[in-house]
Amino acid sequence: MDIVGFIVKLFLSPQVFAPIVFPGLLTALVVLLIIIWAERKIAARIQMRVGPLYVTRHLGGVLQMLADGTRYMFQEFIVPETADRIPFIVAPILALTLAILPFAFIPSAPGFSPISSPLTLPAVLAVISAIPISVLLMGWASNNKFSIQGAVREAFMSLGYEVPLFISAISMSILYGTMSLEEMVTKQFIPGLILNPIAAFTFLVSMIMSAGKLPFDIVEGEQEIVAGPYVEYTGIIFGIGMGLAYLKLYALSLIYTIIFLSGWEPLPKLLYDIYPGIAGIFLFVKAFLLMLFIVFLRSVYGRYRLDQALKIGWRVYFVLSIVSLILSLGLRVILNV
Amino acid sequence: MSNSVKNFPRHIEAIWTGLKYLVKPNRMTVYYPEYFVEPPEGYRGLIRYYPDKCIQCGLCAMVCPAGAMKMYVKKGEKKGRPGVNYQRCIFCGFCVDICPQDALEMTKIHDVAFEKFEDLVFPPEKMALEPVSPALKMGAKKVKPVFDEERGLRHESA
Repeated sequence: MDIVGFIVKLFLSPQVFAPIVFPGLLTALVVLLIIIWAERKIAARIQMRVGPLYVTRHLGGVLQMLADGTRYMFQEFIVPETADRIPFIVAPILALTLAILPFAFIPSAPGFSPISSPLTLPAVLAVISAIPISVLLMGWASNNKFSIQGAVREAFMSLGYEVPLFISAISMSILYGTMSLEEMVTKQFIPGLILNPIAAFTFLVSMIMSAGKLPFDIVEGEQEIVAGPYVEYTGIIFGIGMGLAYLKLYALSLIYTIIFLSGWEPLPKLLYDIYPGIAGIFLFVKAFLLMLFIVFLRSVYGRYRLDQALKIGWRVYFVLSIVSLILSLGLRVILNV
Repeated sequence: MSNSVKNFPRHIEAIWTGLKYLVKPNRMTVYYPEYFVEPPEGYRGLIRYYPDKCIQCGLCAMVCPAGAMKMYVKKGEKKGRPGVNYQRCIFCGFCVDICPQDALEMTKIHDVAFEKFEDLVFPPEKMALEPVSPALKMGAKKVKPVFDEERGLRHESA
């Protein structure tokens, strides 16, 4: 039996390649490094500053996050005496696991989905909506005023965004008549953004709320509660807490691209013939541009208050998501796509 | 809901303004260690002391509102000479104003850093030395800010 051939075949199978390499974990880490740098650089450009520069000056300081990450790696991981020890250590690991898990459901090219199931959309949303529980656990186990405040805010916020997120996603699945992410792309003769703009807008805003980016970075609340649930964490675990929001954002951007921006279309035939795993390049590019737009919002907006965010979550976006559901039903009846 | 609808164009406007600045940035800061923005006239930086002019009257220590200025009396002398503790100094410049002999002067140097708290205490001997800006020592280019009708602020080499 050819062992090397077997390992190569295993590595190139969609069940391993898609979640681990592209568009999964490794790509996500690279995206993480670049997007945080881009966020700081974009904010600096708009606020008339320079931004990070001195690490790799010729490239505009692109490796700044790598330097910061290395610093986190060598910092001591302190468990506070008053913290609940086991949940304190387990919670961030659980959070990271749950943040990586969505990549097991996201297809990157036709016929190249890690898990082929007719129910990948609700599955991936369910996994993402489980992350706040681990964040809650982090805040509770830290036994600190600020972290409990942050955890409670997370709980409130997840009530605010979860419902519009699910309803707007489900309205699209009604429109396409399928709940599989892979089939959704094939059903989009024109992008879902044009078919149901209300659902697209609601999903976008709920997505920003879910990822905790400005104008909804209420959970972290840098100026009020320091870093929210992550305040007691040090070293690499703090890095994980920071990266968590971006991983969530990346996963949700991929889902948004698949549902509303017609996914990997137009499919590069040449790449697909070489190896289907790398044919999802346009999916990645679209998701990355979307992420850039979302991090750009940081420099435009201030932060919403918790009550304001909950108010718009329930009074505006919940209503809008119901409207998008009705619109989808109407389109389904008229167009019969 | 009606309020949100009314505010929607404003959100678009805000994002549009942000995008405009993103495409056409208007940078107002300079690369610090390479460029040094010259402070304006009357800037209150580190205090320099001229021992030759000093009549050791002690007015500077008396007027100091933060209790940063102190008279250091050497053994065998009756009157002391001023020394400053920058942990306390608020750079108000009262000591400089009150000095009858102009023996104290405010320099424009401000970008110094110290490793230890003890280094912040300047005895008279240390105050008498010319303070050095580390950036200028490393050969930073001096620039001065100029108001511009279009850009708001730009920097010219001084």
